[in-house]
Amino acid sequence: MEATSTPRITCAYLNSYVGKNVMVVGKVMQLRGDEAVIDADGNITAHLNRDSHLAAGSGVQLIGKVNPDLSVKVLSSMDLGTGVDFNLANTVVEIAHQHKSIFTYDQ
Amino acid sequence: MAQYGGYQRTGYGAQGGEDGGGFIGGSQQGSQGGGGGSKGYSDDSLRPVTIKQLVDCEEAYPGADLSIDGIPITQVTVVGQVRAVNPQATNITYRLDDGTAIMDVKKWVDAEKADDTNPQFGLDTYVRVWGRLKSFNGKKHIGAHFMRAIDDFNEVSYHMLEATYVHLYFTKGVPGQQQQQGGAGGGDGMFVDGGHGGGGNNAMQAGGAVNGPARLAQCSRNAQTMFNFLNNSPGGNEGIHLNLIASQTGLSVRDVISAADELLGQGIVYTTMDDETWAILDY
Repeated sequence: MEATSTPRITCAYLNSYVGKNVMVVGKVMQLRGDEAVIDADGNITAHLNRDSHLAAGSGVQLIGKVNPDLSVKVLSSMDLGTGVDFNLANTVVEIAHQHKSIFTYDQ
Repeated sequence: MAQYGGYQRTGYGAQGGEDGGGFIGGSQQGSQGGGGGSKGYSDDSLRPVTIKQLVDCEEAYPGADLSIDGIPITQVTVVGQVRAVNPQATNITYRLDDGTAIMDVKKWVDAEKADDTNPQFGLDTYVRVWGRLKSFNGKKHIGAHFMRAIDDFNEVSYHMLEATYVHLYFTKGVPGQQQQQGGAGGGDGMFVDGGHGGGGNNAMQAGGAVNGPARLAQCSRNAQTMFNFLNNSPGGNEGIHLNLIASQTGLSVRDVISAADELLGQGIVYTTMDDETWAILDY
């Protein structure tokens, strides 16, 4: 229906998605006020919004826009708890990039 | 639809004609194509898909079966986040987003069950939906049979991988089988296709099938990816440049070069305008 996608990415893919909305699944490493460091196959700096309630050490799904400095401006965040298999999530990112035809629209 | 058609055929069977001859009902059924009446539950399957696959799939002609990768879809299951909830008199419409695309899911309400009429799932919750893809006035939605919330996020990852697996199963064949068949069948592309669910022609139309020379089966996965890309791209004899192949297939430039070396060595591709542009060698 709506042909817009929010590509799943990890740290390594930030470069290719500057200015675009992306989805990141990672582990909250650090919380500093409205900034957080998320580990998704590498550390990503996330600028949080007011509604973000993250817990250090647990998994999080961020949807946000990639800034030119490769930080992410968070539009929506969701706490995923502690049972997240991050290797699995990173594998999904790799697979999604290998098979773009079923995962993403070119934007 | 299938059950209705079958009933009609029985009723008018005395008229003799295969498709019920001059009866309006009969001719309508005939126009449904695809042998709608003979389709039974045995053809039903439950396929994991991404929402993008559902958005992209098109019916070959109005009324035809919707198919993905050349295989008609019946039941599907998707996983996504609820982005909007819209309760109506007869159904609750959820707008579902799985990161690949967005589609409406209609869960029909059973008026007898009081708790059915209230939305069960809040915004941003991940849900799994089982249902059928419906096309109404050219607008597609999922008619949900059942929905449940997802507690364990890993199910989302799992679903994406499963959807990819099934996609590859239908476009590239059963894992491991391709090589054996390629060797035995002397490289007949159709033969490989015949091996999975008899989807031969359909799989070819889907454009994802490996219909390459037998030698392709011995090549690395990167080489096969590159061959498939060349095979499915228009442009024919001119060939396709390294940079375009790399960006479109998601392979690194180095991978493409080594894949190209491999394919060149097998005599499957040749260089065209320069050393970094390749086309498939047809003979």
